[in-house]
Amino acid sequence: MGRYVIRRLLQALLTLGIVLFLLHYLTALSVQIRGNPALLFFGGDRTPDPGMLAQVERLYGLDNKCYERVGDPCLSPFVDRLQNFVQGDFGTTLNGNRDVGQLLAIYIPNTLRLFIFATITLVTVAMVLGTWAARHRGKFIDHTVRGTTILADSIPVFLILLSYVYIVAVPLTRWARGIWGTESFMGQVFRPNYNADYPWTTIIIPGIIVGTVGLATMTRLIRASQLENLGSDFVRTAKAKGLKPMRITIVHVIRNSMIPIITGVGFLFAFMLSGAVLTEGVMGIPGMGRMIFQAVQRQEGNLVIVGLTVSAVVVVFVSLIVDLLYAALDPRIRYE
Amino acid sequence: MAETVRVIGDTLPGADFNSPLLEVDDLHVEFRVRGRRVPAVRGASFTLEQGRTLAVVGESGSGKSVTSQAIMGILDTPPAAITGGAVRLHGVDLLEQSEETRREVRGNHIAIVFQDALSSLNPLWSVGFQIGELFRVHRGSSRKDAKLKAIELLDQVGIPDAKNRVGHYPHQFSGGMRQRVMIAMALALDPEVLIADEPTTALDVTVQAQIMRLLKRIQSERHMGLILITHDLGVVADVADEVAVMYAGEVVERAGIRDAFKRPAHPYTKALLRAIPRVDTVGRELEVIGGLPPNPAALPGGCPFHPRCFAAEDKCKSEVPPWTEPAESHGSRCHFAEEVYTDER
Ligand SMILES: Nc1ncnc2c1ncn2[C@@H]1O[C@H](COP(=O)(O)OP(=O)(O)OP(=O)(O)O)[C@@H](O)[C@H]1O
Ligand code: SF4
Ligand SMILES: [Mg+2]
Repeated sequence: MGRYVIRRLLQALLTLGIVLFLLHYLTALSVQIRGNPALLFFGGDRTPDPGMLAQVERLYGLDNKCYERVGDPCLSPFVDRLQNFVQGDFGTTLNGNRDVGQLLAIYIPNTLRLFIFATITLVTVAMVLGTWAARHRGKFIDHTVRGTTILADSIPVFLILLSYVYIVAVPLTRWARGIWGTESFMGQVFRPNYNADYPWTTIIIPGIIVGTVGLATMTRLIRASQLENLGSDFVRTAKAKGLKPMRITIVHVIRNSMIPIITGVGFLFAFMLSGAVLTEGVMGIPGMGRMIFQAVQRQEGNLVIVGLTVSAVVVVFVSLIVDLLYAALDPRIRYE
Repeated sequence: MAETVRVIGDTLPGADFNSPLLEVDDLHVEFRVRGRRVPAVRGASFTLEQGRTLAVVGESGSGKSVTSQAIMGILDTPPAAITGGAVRLHGVDLLEQSEETRREVRGNHIAIVFQDALSSLNPLWSVGFQIGELFRVHRGSSRKDAKLKAIELLDQVGIPDAKNRVGHYPHQFSGGMRQRVMIAMALALDPEVLIADEPTTALDVTVQAQIMRLLKRIQSERHMGLILITHDLGVVADVADEVAVMYAGEVVERAGIRDAFKRPAHPYTKALLRAIPRVDTVGRELEVIGGLPPNPAALPGGCPFHPRCFAAEDKCKSEVPPWTEPAESHGSRCHFAEEVYTDER
């Protein structure tokens, strides 16, 4: 077990290093090919004073000759940046000169909340529907569950978002406030947009919407893995041992079905990131998704790199957790 | 560990000890697949007495496993349905018992060992847990006691270093050792009937012999009734007391093992015997039974064996042969049982 954990940790670090370097190299290449973004600071075509240009370049970490040589991997600015990140220095924004570290302190918790609600929604709904469908395999319920989840999956998230925000949210909020009052939980929960005074309450609905991304995939995954285990030889053995159906399900089916489910959740996390970009944008949540989107829009190179670094760390971390959960669940992996 | 005295009547109300240990009487099982009914077992009958070994022999698809699972009561219904007959344990028809009683019977009275031990054990739990589970569920033992019992059982079935191995997982055992684990699990609650459904088919030859010897030893030590299912008559020759030969869901011949080997009364049995490799046939080509086993969804009329039978006559195509007994406790389902028995055919 110990060796397995250490190996997975090293693998995770290596993956992260490669991803971060690729990210860095791509941005370096774009500077090398498309030209110096520091010029933008002076507004397009004007030729700035060389002294001032050098100052701006220093400010944004572009004061390195390697940015002028196409194809140069620019290792030294890469290492510098990693060192700064480790020390908690994420630089400042071009727009408004704000400290990125402070922004992250606001954005990361919001996106985390969004993902917590999304994961809870995804796992519980898919678990209930998948188990239900497996139990009634081939019957009406099974077909209905599969049909509706596929239908739900084929509706794009932004459509769900827009119809919620523009059609459902306002009348629902008005109705809830009429009954429970504006400051109550119910008065806030249906709001069409985020409210910084209620950082948990107003993220529930957006979280649920993000959670519908991949719901069909997850439901089918759970249905399939439960069916596989229900028809397995070891469940037949469990029956032959005279165990009650409840014990068979809990001891011999659910745990065995967890592996594909955990894989699925880990995999869907990457999808949820894209759901988060849209949801945070439409519902005005100051989170990582919106930050990355706006950073791209405003050509904030540093902000893009910070945002993508954070999401790379999250994805690598989640797959590390997935691997560790596998090992905790399955002795064949633990002793491999 | 206090030994608890078991009274069979506790878990099987109405048990009568003058009745045979296990009696399968005209058992019928069918599968309902896509609106069609496919008969898998069509009137299987045999009797097992205490301390005896009954071999159930037949080709793939002849209904051996379905019969054993019907006895255990672990067929999935649907798609399976038991449409007739009785399974009597100490005279009590199990098919008429409540699900609760049937659960008590499983493990306590009848246990089964499956062919593929690797897939039949849950890969995520230690073998000790899976054996101990029986004591915890049926006897209310503590985890610790259950583990001690599991060690004892693993030791009995010849697993070296049982104390250590009890915490290991199925994938850490070799094929033969895994089958021993399955046997230990089946023996846990000291059942009176042990069904072994092709327990050695997945193993290599030397290990096969070891497992057979183990089963035989345990059977005589515990004075159990053993049903040994196999498609290979050769395997059971020196282990079984009686044999029931199945073809297309029916028992077509039933006899003492010596009698069956010396004087088979059904052409199918005769053909099976010719297919066994023996010392005196070394170098000669073995006879294999021509043709394929019938499709249970479209059985030939009359005697289902007639398309492949060397002794078939016109009568066999139209008339279902009756059960006849050419000798005492030697029955056969063939129009010409007598002639086959006396080797005139
Ligand atoms: N789940 C099922 N659904 C439909 N038909 C089935 C099912 N299980 C078994 N059968 C049918 O029942 C018949 C008897 O099968 P069974 O498994 O008892 O054969 P067997 O004698 O044990 O053969 P083998 O030597 O291959 O184990 C077969 O024709 C098979 O097609
Ligand atoms: S009844 Fe006829 S076909 Fe069937 S086994 Fe006997 S001889 Fe062969
Ligand atoms: Mg079988």
